[in-house]
Amino acid sequence: MLQYLALASILFAIGIFGVLTRRNTIGILMSLELMFNAVNINLVTFNKYIGPDNLTGQIFATFVIVVAAAEAVVGLAIVLLLYRNWRGIEVDRINLMKW
Amino acid sequence: MFNTFFPILVLIVLATIIAIAMATVSVIFGRRTKGGAKGEPYESGIKPVGDTKERIPVKFYLIAILFIIFDIEVVFLYPWAVIYNKLGMFGFVEMLVFVVILMVGYFYILGKGALKWD
Amino acid sequence: MTDQNWSILIPEIFLFIWALFIFGLDLGIKRKNPKILGYSAMAGLTITGILLAIFNGGILFKGMFQSDQLAIFFKVIFIGSAFMAVGSSFDIASEKIRHHRGEYYGLILFSTVGMMFLSSASELITLYIGMELTTIPLYVLAAFYKDDKLSVEAGLKYLIVGAFSSAILLYGLSLLYGLTGTTDIVTMKINLSLVFLSYGKIGPGLILAMIMVIAGIGFKLALVPFHMWAPDVYQGAPTPITAFLSVGSKAAGVVAFARIFVNGLIAFASDVMKPLDWGIIVAILAAAAMILGNITALRQRNIKRMLAYSSIAQIGYVMVGMVAASELGIASVGYYMFIYLFANMGAFTIATIFNDKTGSDGIISYSGLSKTSPIFAAYMSIFLLSLAGIPPLGGFAAKYLVFAAGIQAGYTWLVIVALLTSVVSLYYYANIIKTMYFSAEEPTIKIHPSFPANLVLLISVIGIILFGIFPGPILDWALESAKIFAF
Repeated sequence: MLQYLALASILFAIGIFGVLTRRNTIGILMSLELMFNAVNINLVTFNKYIGPDNLTGQIFATFVIVVAAAEAVVGLAIVLLLYRNWRGIEVDRINLMKW
Repeated sequence: MFNTFFPILVLIVLATIIAIAMATVSVIFGRRTKGGAKGEPYESGIKPVGDTKERIPVKFYLIAILFIIFDIEVVFLYPWAVIYNKLGMFGFVEMLVFVVILMVGYFYILGKGALKWD
Repeated sequence: MTDQNWSILIPEIFLFIWALFIFGLDLGIKRKNPKILGYSAMAGLTITGILLAIFNGGILFKGMFQSDQLAIFFKVIFIGSAFMAVGSSFDIASEKIRHHRGEYYGLILFSTVGMMFLSSASELITLYIGMELTTIPLYVLAAFYKDDKLSVEAGLKYLIVGAFSSAILLYGLSLLYGLTGTTDIVTMKINLSLVFLSYGKIGPGLILAMIMVIAGIGFKLALVPFHMWAPDVYQGAPTPITAFLSVGSKAAGVVAFARIFVNGLIAFASDVMKPLDWGIIVAILAAAAMILGNITALRQRNIKRMLAYSSIAQIGYVMVGMVAASELGIASVGYYMFIYLFANMGAFTIATIFNDKTGSDGIISYSGLSKTSPIFAAYMSIFLLSLAGIPPLGGFAAKYLVFAAGIQAGYTWLVIVALLTSVVSLYYYANIIKTMYFSAEEPTIKIHPSFPANLVLLISVIGIILFGIFPGPILDWALESAKIFAF
C-alpha cells in the first residue's frame, strides 16, 4: 500500500511543481491533470485496502476523472481566447493586472 | 561444454571484427558528401513539403475540445453496464436521463453551429 | 430503495431544466429580444425559491443529499445572489455579450444548481461534485468578455487557481477517506472519534488532510494567504459575475467548510488537540485576512479591486464565527452571509450600472454623484456603511453576533483584531462616500438603471435596513439551522 501512496504523492508533487514553474498554459493544464490523477491513485488504493466490497473510492475516482475532463475543456477554451487576444499562450506575458 | 559453444564464440568474434573493419575502411577510404539528399529525412523517399511545425486550423482544436467531453462521459456507462442486471429498471431510466442530458448538449452544439466545417 | 423522498430534489431539478430551457430559448429566439432571457432566468429563480419552500426536509440517496435547515438557509442566499446577479446584468453593455446572453444566464443558473447541491451535501463525493459544478461555469463566466484582455486574463487566473485548489482539496479529501474508510461526514466523525479515543492522539496523516482541506477551501473563500487571485479576477470579470463570485461562491465555500470542519472534524477543534487543532489555524488565517484585506483596501483606486480586498476582510470576520464552532457561531455566520448578500450585491450593482454608463471603475470618477443621482449615492452609502458595520444597518448586527460568538468561544484576541480592523475599514468605505458627496469637481454623470437593476437595489436597501433593525426572524432561522450540528 505504501508504494502506491508514495507514487501518488510523488505525482502530486510533480504536478504542483509543473503548475508553479511552467510558462506554457497547456503545460500548466497538463500538470493539473497530473495532480488529479495522483488523487485518483490515492482513492483507488485506499478503496482496495479499506474494503474490496465497498466501491466508494472507485466511484469517487470516476467522478474526479469526469470533472477533470470538464475542467480541461474549459481550460483549453480559455487558452484559445488567450491566443486570440495575445497571439501567444505564455503566462508571463499575461500580466495586465498586478497588485 | 566448451566444444559445443566454441563455434558460436568464433562467430561472435569474427562478426565483431568484420563489422569494425568495414566501418573503419569506409571511414578511411569513403567519400564525404554534405547537403543535398543527405540532409533529408528520407534519403530516397518522398520529398518533404514544408515545416513540421505547421499550423493546424483551429477547427480541429474545437472538435477535439468537444470530443473530450463526450468521450469522457462514457466513463459512467462502464460501471453501469457491468451491474446493469442488478439495477433493473431504475438504473435504466437513470442512465436514460443522463444520456438525454448529453443529447441536449449535443443538439445545442449543433444549433450553435460549432460543428460546421466552413 | 426505500426511504427515498425524491420530492426534496425538485428545486434543483427544476432549476437545472430551466437552465437548459434558457439555453434552448437563446437558440430559438435568435437574439431578437434579449430581455426575455433575463426575465425568464429571474422567473426561474423565483419559482425555484417557491419550490424550495414547498419541498424540503428529508434525506435522499442514503444520506448523500439532505435538505436540512442549514441547506435551506444557504440555498435562499444562493438563489438570492443569483437573482440579483441576473437582475444587475440587464445593464451591462449589450454589445459585449450580445451573442451569448442565453449562455450567460444559463451558466449562472447552472452555477446556482451546483451551490444548492453543495449546501445539501453531507458526503464528500456530493460535496466535491457540487463544488465543481459551482466553479466550472464561473470560469467561463469570468472570461465572458471574449475580446476584453482583462476578462480573459481573469478567466485564466481563476481557472488555474481554481483547478489547483480543487486538486489540493481533493487530495485532502482522499486522505480523509483513507483514514476513516468512509465519505459520509457523520460516519467520519464517529470513526475519527473512535480512533482518537483508542490512541489518544492524531497522526500526521490527519493533520496533513486538514491542512490540505483548509487550503483547498481557503482558495475558494479567498482567505489569506490563498487570496492572491481574488483582486485580479474580481477586477477583470464582468461586474455582476464578480458580485456573484463574492457572495454566492463564497457562501458555498462557507457552507462546505461548515459541513466538513464544524460537523465532521469538530472533535479536532477542542482544547485537547492544542496546538494542532484546526481552530487555531483558521483563527490565524482569519486574523491575517482581516489585517491584510483591510490595509490593502486602503490604497486601492479601482472600486472593484477595493471591494475585492474588502471581501477578503469580510471573509475573515465570517471565519471568526466559524472558529467559534458553536451554535451561536454558525448562526452568526449564516446571518452575516445573509446581510453580506444584500450589501455586497447592492454595491456591485451600483458599480455595474456606473461602469456601463461611464466605462470607468475608478473611485475618483464617482465624485459628485450625489448631485446628479442623489438616490443612488444614498443607496451606495447605505451599502458601504453596512459593510463597515455602522448601526442600525444590518452589518452592525452581523458583526456584533460574530464577535459575540468569538468571545463566547474564548477567541478574545481574534475579536480584538477584528474590532481594530473594522475601524480601519471604515476609512476606505467612508472615503467613497466622501468622494460622492463632498467632491469639488463638477459632476457630469447621471445614471438611469433599468427596471430589474432598480428592483435589485431596492431589495438590497430594504433588506439591509429591515434586517438591521429587526434581526429577529433571520437570526431565529439561522439558530434553527445551526441546530443540525450536534454540539
